[in-house]
Amino acid sequence: MVIKEIKREDVLETLKAVIDPEIGLNIVDLGLVYDVQISDEVILITMTLTTPGCPMHGSIVNWVERIISMSFPNKIVDVQLVWEPRWTPEKMSEEAKKFLGI
Amino acid sequence: MIQSEQVAGIYSPPFKIVSKYFIGSIISFVVFNLLLVLNYNSINGHHFQPKILSLNHIATLGFVTMVIFGAMFQLVPVVMEVKLFSPLLAEIQFWIYTSGVVLLVYKFWYFDSFISFLLPGLILSLAILLFSINIIFSMIKVKVWNITGSYLIAAIFWLLITALAGYLLTKNLDKPFIKINHLQYLNLHAITAFVGWVGMVIMGVSFKLIPMFTLSHGYKMTFAKISLLITNAGLLGINWIMHYSDTGFYNLVFGTLIFIGVILYLIQIFIIFKKRIRKKLDIGLKFSAFAFIIFGIVSTLNFSFLFFDYESIVNLTLVYGIIVIYGFFGTLILGQMYKIVPFLVWYHKYSSKVGIEIVPMLKDMFNEKLAEYQLYLLLGGIVISSSGLLINKGIVVLIGFILLLTNSIIFTINMIKIFRS
Repeated sequence: MVIKEIKREDVLETLKAVIDPEIGLNIVDLGLVYDVQISDEVILITMTLTTPGCPMHGSIVNWVERIISMSFPNKIVDVQLVWEPRWTPEKMSEEAKKFLGI
Repeated sequence: MIQSEQVAGIYSPPFKIVSKYFIGSIISFVVFNLLLVLNYNSINGHHFQPKILSLNHIATLGFVTMVIFGAMFQLVPVVMEVKLFSPLLAEIQFWIYTSGVVLLVYKFWYFDSFISFLLPGLILSLAILLFSINIIFSMIKVKVWNITGSYLIAAIFWLLITALAGYLLTKNLDKPFIKINHLQYLNLHAITAFVGWVGMVIMGVSFKLIPMFTLSHGYKMTFAKISLLITNAGLLGINWIMHYSDTGFYNLVFGTLIFIGVILYLIQIFIIFKKRIRKKLDIGLKFSAFAFIIFGIVSTLNFSFLFFDYESIVNLTLVYGIIVIYGFFGTLILGQMYKIVPFLVWYHKYSSKVGIEIVPMLKDMFNEKLAEYQLYLLLGGIVISSSGLLINKGIVVLIGFILLLTNSIIFTINMIKIFRS
């Protein structure tokens, strides 16, 4: 059996299924995912939220964990929520900016 | 395999508690509108009369305060990142509070001698005390403080003062003991309730919610900080001088302080709106934007009361009450409920399904077009009923109240749609 190597792009593509229901955009295009590191055992995702004290604080992290562990069941998922550097609108993708009319 | 310890909704209180308060508020809003239509002829003359006092308390205690209680049980934990001290206390408080509101409204309406004014006064004071204990004990554990927290602490303080003044008024109605004009205490009760309790909550929470909903970034909160200090200094002053009979000059000073505080708050809100990334305002934010504009108009009118004597204008106090309750509190609360209630229901029903199946977006959970019509009915109803009161034409007042009732029915239809989605 050939085990396909997991790439950063695969993880990011999977994370696009996590959509902020208030804004209607996924967390990757919103620029909330800062980094994805893949080792033999762990997928480490470093991410932020648009503002501290966001009511979806725990939920978004939980969704990320669930969707990645479902898509890559052989890996341990570790989500690190950070507030530095703070999220700014410049971190959004061009599609997201267009969607919001910037 | 999941490594992180973070659990969805770690800080959120149970949905059934918050939703009880929200449903209680929606029911109060419809009842308030219905009673206004059925008793439009009674809405005339001096504001200190049984049915007007009764209606006013359905709106302020039933509609406004009920939703604030529910929203604070939800928002304090998530915004301040602490657990609610006691969800059970919040549940018990709901039933005590609701029975207090029903009794007080009944007592005001019929002036029934069988029930003493003290009974609803005591029940409501107990409920408010339980609420204050629950929120303060939750906030004691806050690790990272923010300006919203300071506003909420001020709000709790003024809620307790409002309850105390309200209790003294009910005691005085039961057995008169207040030596100065009790209308002065009524003013104190109203100012601390409107500016201190509701005002501080709205101001503090809006500094968290409006930037979150509009994705505003890159602004300073200087005006908010000054506004907090100035408004509360004015409120403290007003509370101090109201116990004396000759209040003219000091009234002017402290009233001006409150006015400046409100203007600074509105400037801060304007800056937040200006710095928003989401340019298009959705229906919830459209309601809110109108509420802020009306808040500016109401505050200016209130400020002018310090300089001009409007006694010759018929029903001006009632018009002022309608603009405050519907125009500012109502418009803002209804707008924010279009943002918060879908989120709570969505979170409760769909959060566990994200990534597994297709889940709706929040805006898909209610009819936005219908909500837009509701906004026009609300604004139209305020203008028409206020005009009717000013020209003293009952039929015009009735038309205005029917529009406002229709607005509340549409709102309820949309809320049912959200709860059922």
